[in-house]
Amino acid sequence: MDAALPLRKTQAAERGSCHHCGEALASDAIREGDRAFCCNGCAAAATWIREAALGDYYNLRTSPAGRVQADAADFGAWDRDVVLAEHSRAVPGGREITVLTDAMRCAACAWLIDRALRRQAGVLDAGANAVTGRIVVAWDPQRVALSTLMQRLAALGYRPWLATGEAREQAQRRERRRWLLRLGVAGLGAIQAMMFAEALYLDTAQQMPIATRDFFRWITFLVSTPVVFYAGWPFLEGMARELRGRRLGMDTLIAGSTLLAYFASLVETVRGGTHVWYDAAVMFVLLLLVARMFEQRARGIASAQIDALARARPALALRERNDGSAEQVPVGDIDVGDVLRVAAGEAVPADGVLLDRAASFDEALITGESTPVRREAGESALAGSICREASARLRVVRTGADTRLSQLTRLVEQAQSARPQLARAAERVAGGFVVALLLCAVATFAWWHANEPARALEVTLALLVVSCPCALSLAIPTALTTAHGALARIGVLGVREDALPTLARVDRVMLDKTGTLSNGRPELDSVATFEGMDAATALSIASALERGSAHPLAQAFAHVEADRTAHGVHAVAGCGVEGEVDGTHWRLGRADFAAARADDGALWLGDGTRAFARITVRETMRDGAREAVAALRDAGVSIELCSGDAPDAVERFARQVGINAFHARQSPEQKLARVREAQARGEVVAMVGDGLNDAPVLAGADVSLAMAEGAALAQRAADFVVTSPSLTRVPQAIVLARRTQRIVRQNLAWALGYNVLAIPLAATGHVTPWIAAVGMAGSSLLVTLNALRLSRRERNQRRAA
Amino acid sequence: MNILLLLVPISLILLGIAIGAFVWAVRRGQFDDLDTPAIDILRDDPLPAPRVDPVDTTNDAD
Repeated sequence: MDAALPLRKTQAAERGSCHHCGEALASDAIREGDRAFCCNGCAAAATWIREAALGDYYNLRTSPAGRVQADAADFGAWDRDVVLAEHSRAVPGGREITVLTDAMRCAACAWLIDRALRRQAGVLDAGANAVTGRIVVAWDPQRVALSTLMQRLAALGYRPWLATGEAREQAQRRERRRWLLRLGVAGLGAIQAMMFAEALYLDTAQQMPIATRDFFRWITFLVSTPVVFYAGWPFLEGMARELRGRRLGMDTLIAGSTLLAYFASLVETVRGGTHVWYDAAVMFVLLLLVARMFEQRARGIASAQIDALARARPALALRERNDGSAEQVPVGDIDVGDVLRVAAGEAVPADGVLLDRAASFDEALITGESTPVRREAGESALAGSICREASARLRVVRTGADTRLSQLTRLVEQAQSARPQLARAAERVAGGFVVALLLCAVATFAWWHANEPARALEVTLALLVVSCPCALSLAIPTALTTAHGALARIGVLGVREDALPTLARVDRVMLDKTGTLSNGRPELDSVATFEGMDAATALSIASALERGSAHPLAQAFAHVEADRTAHGVHAVAGCGVEGEVDGTHWRLGRADFAAARADDGALWLGDGTRAFARITVRETMRDGAREAVAALRDAGVSIELCSGDAPDAVERFARQVGINAFHARQSPEQKLARVREAQARGEVVAMVGDGLNDAPVLAGADVSLAMAEGAALAQRAADFVVTSPSLTRVPQAIVLARRTQRIVRQNLAWALGYNVLAIPLAATGHVTPWIAAVGMAGSSLLVTLNALRLSRRERNQRRAA
Repeated sequence: MNILLLLVPISLILLGIAIGAFVWAVRRGQFDDLDTPAIDILRDDPLPAPRVDPVDTTNDAD
């Protein structure tokens, strides 16, 4: 196998890459004319696209499609009334549903989905949005089943997930549109108000008749009123909220300054004073709305992508029928007393009592306890906890609103809306700043009132407007959200916002081998049998044992004919699995575990003492593994390979990708100990992994990245989920995190420097209110644009690569 | 300067029309997706007649 590996690699290079998904081709590639495909799924998708005359997709796309999953998921349950009632809404002629998909990578994908769905009979309307990862389909349930449409999507490589419910989706869309409307009204209104204000400013020699001047003032008042009260409503609302909470924040200052400028102008208009400041008020609102819109957009893009993974809560469950077979049902259909099956790595759909035997559950989402809890048979398992290591059967005792599922959804949302610590600290500083500023304004007003009463109001207004610490409070969130958006675009989803600053400080990366350096799709290499067993039987038993396991190795057996079933299967971390097949107790895993022999790196099937078969599995290197290791080294990060695998396999892989420090046969505890050891030396450790047994290590490292093909559990424990198949995203993410830190520092320095400089100038009367508005909003805008640089440079870099 | 009494109301009416058009466009979802429609114009050949999809036929038979 050692000698065979490089040979296979060169062959793969000659064979080229898949026409549809761009992945390197294996020996079993499917050829059609001059095009080649990696699997039947991709070939079928490409054939369909060509026959539907949508072949332009291949010319329009800017990044390759996702690999089409061969095992078509069953969407039959989506046709049920329970699912339709919660997730879709009635529209004229049919129903409409919003689904999420994480495979849309460019606008061409959205175009393809759009066209593909419209070709289906019974589809009324279809729209896909590549930025938010959402597909909206309106269809006529009388003419076509929803599952057919979803099957079509899955067959093209865009596996759909249920969104959190149609009402929520509608609310989000309305909110987005309302912001746009406010911005439009502010823009159009402010430009008009500025035009009239300009006429007043140009009247420097006071030649304008009083009647014309007042006419202009009243018109300006008319135009600026909707800007202040409709477009500026978010700020007014924020002020009301802050005042009710008895604290002073950014919104109080913004809304306070705006209202002061607006009402002071109104008073001057009524009594025919010398000055009005409507222009300052409207400009303040417009520019701040633009700055906030940028922030919201950056945040929206990042969270829309995360939605697809993190919010895809279990909408379906596997229920056992009376005859022992299982069926997929919506969570809403489950009744008390039903028996459910939960595979390892999946979430428990309803509160229940464990049947058969003990299992361990990760209840981190419910209790915050990161170590898994072991439950004996007869004890309860909570909805939302994640089944570890082995699959479980349970009898439902509580369903629907009684379970913790609804609470869980809220928890996930809370975790996502939680503002990073760094941003919270900046907000506290800004809060103190506002108090100091208000005192300063009162002092300024008092001084000017005593010395030059005519200018007192104007100078105070200028001071309030110019010194608004918006830039200070925007500095960190904009940079973080833009960075998350940029990360999401290269296929790295930030699950916890706090993790980005840590990622920037990383100086040691620990890599797992299986599923991280290798592409996680192992293939069967050879089978040698003993004790009179034939290869087919050995493979059949092995595949029965591995079925339902989320370990990456289980995939190697996915194509083996499934004619046996295993009972009481459970995984022994770092060793293998054991269970009963046809009444015999079998073990599958390391030689010392399965057959009491010296470990040689192969997979052994035995009964614990005797060996029956030796199965070798080969792994292929992940795309860009070598480049990733080189890039990490360039970034000054030391790299370590820790694997549960046999020494020779680990060593071979380490040599191939160019890693010098490697450790084989590491149990999760040993891996964790290595992480702790490095942390004790003062290093910041990042862990990249994907397997089930990585979860504690992922949680123990300072920052963790999980490869998305891995088990769901690992992704929950990770700070970042890498959805791109290429490992080069890891060094890219670290580089981006470091650049983010740099930008945050620049922003803070600018915002502080600006305020320190502007306040004395304003207090001494050198700044007029409209210059103050331009300066303040310009400062906010500058900070936001500086943050947006993160996303732009990233794109350029990708194009160059 | 009496012309202002005519021009200013006209500008206000135009402003009202502009805002109305913008509101209509936002409500219709014209600004929801700014990336995908740009691709549509890159196709120059006319769409051939829709093909009967095998998935459809099997399902209609159900």
